Amino acid sequence: MSTRSGPHKVLLAFYALFTLAAGARALVQLTTQYDEAPVAYWLSLAAAVTYALGWYAIREASAGRTGFASVMLWIELAGVLTVGTLSIAVERWFPDASVWSDYGIGYGFVPAVLPIAGLLWLRRQKQDTRTNL
Amino acid sequence: MPSVSTQITYIVVGYAVLVAVLALVIALRRRERPRWLDQMVWMLELLLIVRALAGLGPLVGDDEPDSTSTYVGYLIASICVLPIAMKSIEGDRAVWSSAVVAVAALAIGVIAVRLEMTA
Repeated sequence: MSTRSGPHKVLLAFYALFTLAAGARALVQLTTQYDEAPVAYWLSLAAAVTYALGWYAIREASAGRTGFASVMLWIELAGVLTVGTLSIAVERWFPDASVWSDYGIGYGFVPAVLPIAGLLWLRRQKQDTRTNL
Repeated sequence: MPSVSTQITYIVVGYAVLVAVLALVIALRRRERPRWLDQMVWMLELLLIVRALAGLGPLVGDDEPDSTSTYVGYLIASICVLPIAMKSIEGDRAVWSSAVVAVAALAIGVIAVRLEMTA
């Protein structure tokens, strides 16, 4: 792991936590109560995978390789906005909540803020990388 | 009167919030992470291990939690989060490392509350 300090360390902590939280939640719900809300539970698993990839993307970007993060963080933001909107517009698909339901209200809206914070950090990171070249 | 594990949870939540606030103050004042903050984190970890041991009771007794898998998940997460967070900032005492401690301690507070809700 990169030992260089910076705000990415906090982002990495959040992404690791959400990988754990979303992954455990999805696996428990998919294995114990699958029939209650399969769409919501699969979307929770997709969120967990996105967080795991996001964690890797930020770690790479902190070492100057920003390409993957440029794609991944936008995918994550699109996911939160799409699932958040669907959970309000098509309620019958969500008899039980997903991680990104109502834009992550169950997690204090951190899922909506996280990709935006990541993209802001990434923009600065790209500027720093260019300056150091 | 609340059970022993519930009483320990109250202490864990209060102490976790204290650690989170102190870590945040240190980060906002842009100071290096002091050694005493690490000691407070490990004290919190010790409390969590005690809480986890007390939390094994419902698993072997008659009063099983509603969702055993969820309960066990929170129990394991409660003791894993802090060591992983501290490992991620090993050798890094700069400002942002305190912010990581704040995030981890806050997460512990939430996990402890959720653990109590599923017990």
